[in-house]
Amino acid sequence: MNISASILEIAVVLLGVVIMLADLWTPPKYKSWLGVGSAAGLLLILAGSFFLQVNEPIQAFGGMYVLDAFALFFKRFFIVATMLVLLISVEYSKKFQSGSGEYFSLSLFALSGMMFAASANHFALLFVSLELITITFYILTSFLRHQIISLEAGIKYLILGALSSAFLLYGIALVYGATGTMQFDALRAQSANMVQSPLLLVGLLMILAGLGFKIAAFPFQIWAPDVYQGSPNSTTAFLAVGSKAAGFALLMRLLMSAVPDVALSWEPLLMGMAAITILYGNLCALPQRNLKRLLGYSSIAHAGYLMMGVAAMSLNGSGAILYYLSGYLFTVIAAFLVIILVMQHTGAEDIIQLAQLHQRAPGLAGMLALSMVSLAGIPPLAGFFGKFLLLRAVLEQASVHTAYYGLVAVAVIGVVISLVYYFGIIRTIYWEKQQLVADEIHVSPISRVVLWVCAVLMIYLGILPNRLMEAASTAVESLKF
Amino acid sequence: MIGLEHYLIVSALLFSLGMMGVILRRNLIVIYMGLELMLNAANLALVAFSRFNNSMDGQVMVFFVITVAAAEVAVGLALIVALYRKRQSTEVADLTTLKL
Repeated sequence: MNISASILEIAVVLLGVVIMLADLWTPPKYKSWLGVGSAAGLLLILAGSFFLQVNEPIQAFGGMYVLDAFALFFKRFFIVATMLVLLISVEYSKKFQSGSGEYFSLSLFALSGMMFAASANHFALLFVSLELITITFYILTSFLRHQIISLEAGIKYLILGALSSAFLLYGIALVYGATGTMQFDALRAQSANMVQSPLLLVGLLMILAGLGFKIAAFPFQIWAPDVYQGSPNSTTAFLAVGSKAAGFALLMRLLMSAVPDVALSWEPLLMGMAAITILYGNLCALPQRNLKRLLGYSSIAHAGYLMMGVAAMSLNGSGAILYYLSGYLFTVIAAFLVIILVMQHTGAEDIIQLAQLHQRAPGLAGMLALSMVSLAGIPPLAGFFGKFLLLRAVLEQASVHTAYYGLVAVAVIGVVISLVYYFGIIRTIYWEKQQLVADEIHVSPISRVVLWVCAVLMIYLGILPNRLMEAASTAVESLKF
Repeated sequence: MIGLEHYLIVSALLFSLGMMGVILRRNLIVIYMGLELMLNAANLALVAFSRFNNSMDGQVMVFFVITVAAAEVAVGLALIVALYRKRQSTEVADLTTLKL
């Protein structure tokens, strides 16, 4: 047995346990340092991940677990995401009445689930890692349990999440029944000549439903706005980047490595899902007045754009997904950190509270405007280049299937709609006349560092995309599509 | 002779019953019972397939599922209890704070 392949996950779990124990002996005043400590630990683990060599895929636990370039890319992505989320939750943890140490260690356990998901090569690991993420998120979403909205968000996530797990599991059972295996390599060999088997198709559809819930794609997106609005801000950011990316990692591994023949015949279905998700997310975001709810709908729209990469069914499409997720990560973290800082003292999160922000805090106003521009996909920021790569990957496939032109048209319409609400936010920041009674905004050194890192990377990824693009394309090559 | 299809019919029935519970009932505890029923329907299908495919994978999977379901119930019931303390009720009709 090759346990050393999962050394990164083991390190993350150990770090989580250490933080949980350290929490017992840390006086309340210093609890926020636990968050900084866990982020520092993750930085070490991230540095350690560069010593791993994956020229050849390494399999462990009887083929359940695979460490290849694709898995390693996602592991690094998740580590960076969790590191940033931990740092912004240090800022937010003042709101927790108790248990901020637990919040940090739970985030680390969720991270370990995401990292296992990146390596899942068997339905058992897929299910267990997905549940590890989801169950931890039930707690993280309802962490402000003295506020009814947080609790309500947690319970809604719980019921719908458990429902989607049930579908996923029943789908796994049916696929297992049809093919007699749960291991992805064996499944690949088996499924090639069973593309017409109804048992396999129904099972895969149910699995698609379960994963569609994680990435909040239509028609499994109902939970997203409520949960995004009600959760603690740092959890919302984590949901938007971590949980969504884990869903995509699993979806890509499953569709492209395990059942490529079925996936190819599903192109119209995936295209339809992508198109409706884009339109639904963007149209529903238009009338929103609550900033977090708006970002919830916008994240549905972004799930739609990312689904385009899956629907393209090509290595370029998958590479574009990896690139898009990386750009999205820094943008979303920056946006949520500004929201946390600006709305620290007020309970509500209405957009109107951003009015005249550029006078109170020009730096934060600029940051939020920058991230909105990147989310909207305006050059030269990371969001633009990600969208460009996705659209190019889809257009490349248009010679195979003319419906791809329609998908591109829908995506462009979606981007245009999204300009309205993203620029609505920017307008409120700079030109809204109404001045509210506003508290002074204090930006701690940690937040300052996070904001700078996000801003620099947002611009860097937009202007000099080559290095990340190369990393993404080497990563997707190991999908063997 | 009881064959694979009998097990699958029972399993599909359990799954639909569970889903009807989730959709039709208004009490969170009962909804949660419906969800557990759905998971167990999948477990039954897994065990049946495992027996008739002559492979142990499905049965091993069931152990994982039972463990995960126990963890899920622990967290889920804790959340429902926290809601009950706050609202003195476990009806879905009371979960209407989050709106446009």
